[in-house]
Amino acid sequence: MILGAIALLLLTLLGAPLFAVIGTSAMLGFHGEGVNLSVVAIEFFGVSETPVLVAIPLFTFAGFLLSAGQAPRRLLRLTQAVVGWLPGGLAIICLTVCALLTAFTGASGVTIIALGAVLFPALSEAGYDEKFNLGLITASGSLGLLFAPSLPLILYGVVAQAPIDQLFVAGVLPGVLMIALLSVYSLWRNRHVPRPAAERSVAALWAAVREAKWDLPLPFVVLGGIYSGYFAVSEAAAVTALYVVLVEVVFLREVRWRDLPRIMRESTVLVGAILVILGVSLASTNYMIDAGVPQQMFAVVSQYVSGPNSFLVVLLVFLLILGAILDIFSAIVLIVPLLLPVASQFGMNPIHLGIIFLAAMELGYLMPPHGLNLFIASHRFGKDITVIYWATQPFLLVSLLAVIIIAFWPGLSLMLLH
Amino acid sequence: MSDRSGQTWWKRAERFGRALETTLITVILGGLVLFASAQILLRNVFSVGVTWSDGLIRLVVLWLALLGTLAASREGRHLTMGAITRWLPQRLQTVTGVTTDLFAAAFCALLARYAVTFVLDSREGGDTLLNGVPAWWLQAPLPVAFALSAWQFLTRAVLRAFGRLAPPQEVGL
Repeated sequence: MILGAIALLLLTLLGAPLFAVIGTSAMLGFHGEGVNLSVVAIEFFGVSETPVLVAIPLFTFAGFLLSAGQAPRRLLRLTQAVVGWLPGGLAIICLTVCALLTAFTGASGVTIIALGAVLFPALSEAGYDEKFNLGLITASGSLGLLFAPSLPLILYGVVAQAPIDQLFVAGVLPGVLMIALLSVYSLWRNRHVPRPAAERSVAALWAAVREAKWDLPLPFVVLGGIYSGYFAVSEAAAVTALYVVLVEVVFLREVRWRDLPRIMRESTVLVGAILVILGVSLASTNYMIDAGVPQQMFAVVSQYVSGPNSFLVVLLVFLLILGAILDIFSAIVLIVPLLLPVASQFGMNPIHLGIIFLAAMELGYLMPPHGLNLFIASHRFGKDITVIYWATQPFLLVSLLAVIIIAFWPGLSLMLLH
Repeated sequence: MSDRSGQTWWKRAERFGRALETTLITVILGGLVLFASAQILLRNVFSVGVTWSDGLIRLVVLWLALLGTLAASREGRHLTMGAITRWLPQRLQTVTGVTTDLFAAAFCALLARYAVTFVLDSREGGDTLLNGVPAWWLQAPLPVAFALSAWQFLTRAVLRAFGRLAPPQEVGL
């Protein structure tokens, strides 16, 4: 058993697919208890009994389709018209646009790849130094995970069986806080950069709004539909997907019909990679809960932790380490079911826990050794990974401050719910 | 000679497999978008509810996930923790890559084998889903997908061992 665990750990470190590792550990566990291993297949089939899951393929497809067309460019132009004339405006544009795009794609790599090519030269031209630009774009790539309808928010809701519409509301202010703090830092850091030449222009704003007339209704379809009670989350996902197909393929014709299969395949690969982990985790979680792992965790933690505040400190440290070694999707599926009962013993609200979890995991994108954004930015901009890493440091620290505020101020997440 | 024709046969099968995957994904995901939208229309405008539709949608999501899993296996795009191997020398990377591919192949094969047990049990028990459809029909894609995934991982291991594996695409998540 211990030998098996060591072998699995080694395989994980060597880059074995996580679903195979998790599935094997579940099999080892059940085998040790003398249970027939078809239980793993039965649990996997449980994926088809999970409600709301349909929102994941639909929103992912909609996000991939949006970023395949001209929507990112329109969004950029609109934001430019709104805040471009402010000092430091371009940095704020970068943060806002990346956050909004990531909310829809849920995939930070897509954001850096789709927007990096436009934003990086624009920032350089405006007089920002290269190190700042690299750090800004790399850090912006994972912003927006707290905004609806991001994939990690939905996945957390599914796994924690928490109401997803409430998670969507709870993420708003913490997400805004992150952008605000990073904007303040960007303004301060570039206080010597001359003000942008762009003037405030109503005509340009109007033109940008008209250009984005098909995209602007989207947030209202998603959020308005859900909050008015007209749509369930999964229905909003269906309407969003259908709407984006109509706009991108039929009305604007930015994406050709024959490109659809390729985009559908791309988005389904991501969905498959996430849901296969969910499937095997249903089995491993079941085993661990049978084996009383959450109770043991609680017993261990409560030896060192006296109350909710010290629990939060331990939780944050744990999540930051977790984020550095595991991607956000696997972490949600694998850790949340075990963490939830422990956190509730310390009186934590599951919605607040979700927001902390995602906010902390967002930092993982910027931390070595796993930090995905570092690798993508390094590849995208042809810079050494260590250059990217040091450029990102200040943004990492500012984001960390935001995460600490989010953790110790539950009201920020919960006030809009009441 | 026989080696080369063997390779073309194999390449053709791979191409066919990939095209079939993409077609199925397109049909299923496209159908899902239309069906889920139509359901809202029926419910809200015509006040018609179909009792089995939610169950069907959830099953279809599972099938789509299985297709995505298979496609991710083919393209080597599963989620991993591997970051250490990036700094290993090339030869060692090949060794670790082959090892982890073989491990994944073995797991998929094992899961496929026990999924067959699950499906056969379900057939024997006469389970039904969605108002009377034999459950095992709906469960059958499970062993198939993992058997094919096992094959993909095995293929990747062999290709990698002989240095024929195309370098991975840079993919964002």
